[in-house]
Amino acid sequence: MLGLADWLFIAWYFALSIGIGLYYSKKAGKSISEYFLSGRSLPWWLLGTSMVATSFSADTPLAVSGIVMKDGVSGNWFWWNFMLGGALTILFFAHLWRRAGVMTEVEFIDIRYSGRPAKFLRGFKALYLGVPVSCITFGWVTLAMVKIIQAVFQTNATTAMAVCLGLTIFYTALSGLWGVVATDMLLFGVAMLGSIILAVVSVEKAGGIGAITAAATALSAQTGKDYLSVFPSFGRAVPLAFFVAIFVQWWAVYYPGAEPGGGGWSAQRMLAAKNPRHAVLGTLWFNIAHYVIRPWPWILTALAALVLFPALAGAPAGVQEAAYPKMIAFLPKGIKGIVIASLFAAFMSTIESIVNLSGSFLLNDFYRPFIRKDASERHYVMVSRLLVIAVSLLGAGFSLVLGSVKMGWQILMELSGGIGLVLLLRWYWWRVSAWSEISALTASAAMAVYLRRFPGSPLVGALSSALARAGFKVDAWGVDIILIVAVTTVVWITVTFLTPPDDRDKLLSFYRRVRPGGFWGPVARLNGRSYKLQAWPFLGWGLALLMILCFLFGVGRLVFMDWARGAAFVAAGSAAAVLLSIIIKKIDWEGQ
Amino acid sequence: MKKEYRPMALGFWGVAVPLVVFGLLFCRTAAERITVFLSAAIFFLVGTLIRGAKQ
Repeated sequence: MLGLADWLFIAWYFALSIGIGLYYSKKAGKSISEYFLSGRSLPWWLLGTSMVATSFSADTPLAVSGIVMKDGVSGNWFWWNFMLGGALTILFFAHLWRRAGVMTEVEFIDIRYSGRPAKFLRGFKALYLGVPVSCITFGWVTLAMVKIIQAVFQTNATTAMAVCLGLTIFYTALSGLWGVVATDMLLFGVAMLGSIILAVVSVEKAGGIGAITAAATALSAQTGKDYLSVFPSFGRAVPLAFFVAIFVQWWAVYYPGAEPGGGGWSAQRMLAAKNPRHAVLGTLWFNIAHYVIRPWPWILTALAALVLFPALAGAPAGVQEAAYPKMIAFLPKGIKGIVIASLFAAFMSTIESIVNLSGSFLLNDFYRPFIRKDASERHYVMVSRLLVIAVSLLGAGFSLVLGSVKMGWQILMELSGGIGLVLLLRWYWWRVSAWSEISALTASAAMAVYLRRFPGSPLVGALSSALARAGFKVDAWGVDIILIVAVTTVVWITVTFLTPPDDRDKLLSFYRRVRPGGFWGPVARLNGRSYKLQAWPFLGWGLALLMILCFLFGVGRLVFMDWARGAAFVAAGSAAAVLLSIIIKKIDWEGQ
Repeated sequence: MKKEYRPMALGFWGVAVPLVVFGLLFCRTAAERITVFLSAAIFFLVGTLIRGAKQ
C-alpha cells in the first residue's frame, strides 16, 4: 500500500511533467516545423537524451530483467547486438539525415526517388508507419504499463491508465516536439532514478553483492547456465540466436529505436538538430546512455530477485517479467512513490514520442501531399493536433486486443525482418530506387506470413538441418530471420537491376543536397564533383564500438566490486573516447 | 538562461528538493540514504547545467 508521501510525490511528478509540456504549447503552434522538429534548434544533449528516454519504456526493465532470469546477463546480446548498428548510425548516417533537411523519415523518399513508385511508397509508408506500426508499439507499451499497475496496486488498472494516458496525450497534442524533448529530459532522469533506487534496495535485501554473486554461481551449477557471464557459454554448438544477433539482426531488422541507418523517432531528432555535428553528437550520447547507463540497475534487480525467489529461475517468461514490479514491495514508504513515478515516466516518454512521430507521418507525408496541399501553417498545426489525438485513441484500442507484449514486437520484427540493407544502401548507392524498397517490404512481409503459416515447411527443415550439421544449436527464431533476410535481399537486388534507375535530375539534386560518398559514379560525373567516403568514419565506428563495450563491461565489473578489471575496462573505454573525439573533430560533418 | 531551457532546469530542481526531504524522512538504511541524496545532488547539478546552457 502507498502512503501519503508516495501519493504526494506521484502528484508532484505529474504536475511538473504536465507543466513543462504545456509551457511549450504556444511555441509549438507557430508552424509544423516548430511542432514536429522544434524549429531544428535542438542541441546534442537534448536530442540524445530524448532518444534514450523514448527507447526506455515501461516494458523495457521488465523485458531485460526477464531475459536475465531466463538466460543470465549474456541473454542481453539479444538487444546489445544493435549497438553495432547504433555506432554505424553515429558515424555514417546521423549527419546525412540532418543534411537531407526533410521533415520526416518518410519525406526522404520524396527527395531520393522519382516517379509514381516514389509517390506510392511515400503514401504507403506514411500510413503503414503512422497507423499500424505506431498502434502496435503504442499497444505493447500500454499493455506493459497495465500489467505493472496491476502488479503494484493489485487492482483494475483501467482508471489509472485512462488518467495517465489522457494527461500525456493532452500536453503532447498541445506542445509538439518541444514539449516532448523537454519533458523527456526530466522523464529520463526520474526513470533512471527509480531503477537505481530499486536496484540498491533489492541488492541490500538480497544480502549484498557478495551474496548475489555466491547465489548466482550456485544456481549456475544447478541449472548449467552461467548467470553472471556477459558472453554465452558455447559448449560444443554455437547458439544460432547469438550468431544471428551478432552477424545479421543489427543491419537487417527494422526495429523501433534501432532502425538500420536511423529512422522513426531517432531520425526525427537528428532532423531536429541544430546542425549535422549536433546530430552526430546527440546520436553518440544516445548510444552511450542506451547501452552503458540503463541496463545494470535492471540486471542487478533481476539477479537480486533470483536470489530472493530461486523458483523464478525455471518460471514461465510472464512470471519472470512480473518479478520486477513486485520488488517495489521491498521499498520503504515515501520512496515507493518515486519508483512508481519512474515507471510512469518511462511509459509517458515513449507514448508522447510515438504519437508525435505518427502525427508527423500522417500530416507531412499523407495529408499535406495527397489531401490538402496549400493550406496555412495554422491549419496544419490544428490537423496535426487532431491526428495525435486520433492515433492515441486507436493505439489505446489496440492495447485491448493485443495478446502480449512479446506478440507486438514479434509481429513488427518479422514483418520488416529483411529491409535493413536497402535502408542503409539507399544513401550510398545511386542505383537503389523506390522499387528496391517496395520489393524489399513486400518480400519481407510475404516471407514472415509464409513462415507463420507454414512453420514446418521443407525450406525451414532443410535450413535447420544444414545449420545443425554446420555446428549450430538451432532455434526457430534464428532460422526464420536468416530465411527472411536471404529471400528479401535476393528479391530487392534482382528487382533493382530489372527496373529503371531514378530520374537523373532527382538523383543529382539529392547528391548535391546530402553530399554522400560511396557508389554514386554516374551522378558524381554529372555533378562535376565527387564526394568521397573518408576512412575516418570507419575507424570511428570501431572506436565507438570499443568505447561502448568497454564502458558497458567496465560498469558491470564495478557494480560487482571487481575493481581492478572494472577500472581497466573504464580506462580502455576512456582512451577510445579520446581517440573518437579527435576523429569527430577531424571529420567535416557539413561535407563542404 | 535560454528561455526554452528554463522549465527543464526548474523540473530537475523540482525533483531534487523532494528527494532530499524524502531521504531524510523515509530512508532507513545507509545505502538507501546515500542513493537518494546522491541522486538529489545529480538532479540539482543537471538542473544547474541546463540553466547555464548556452544559446
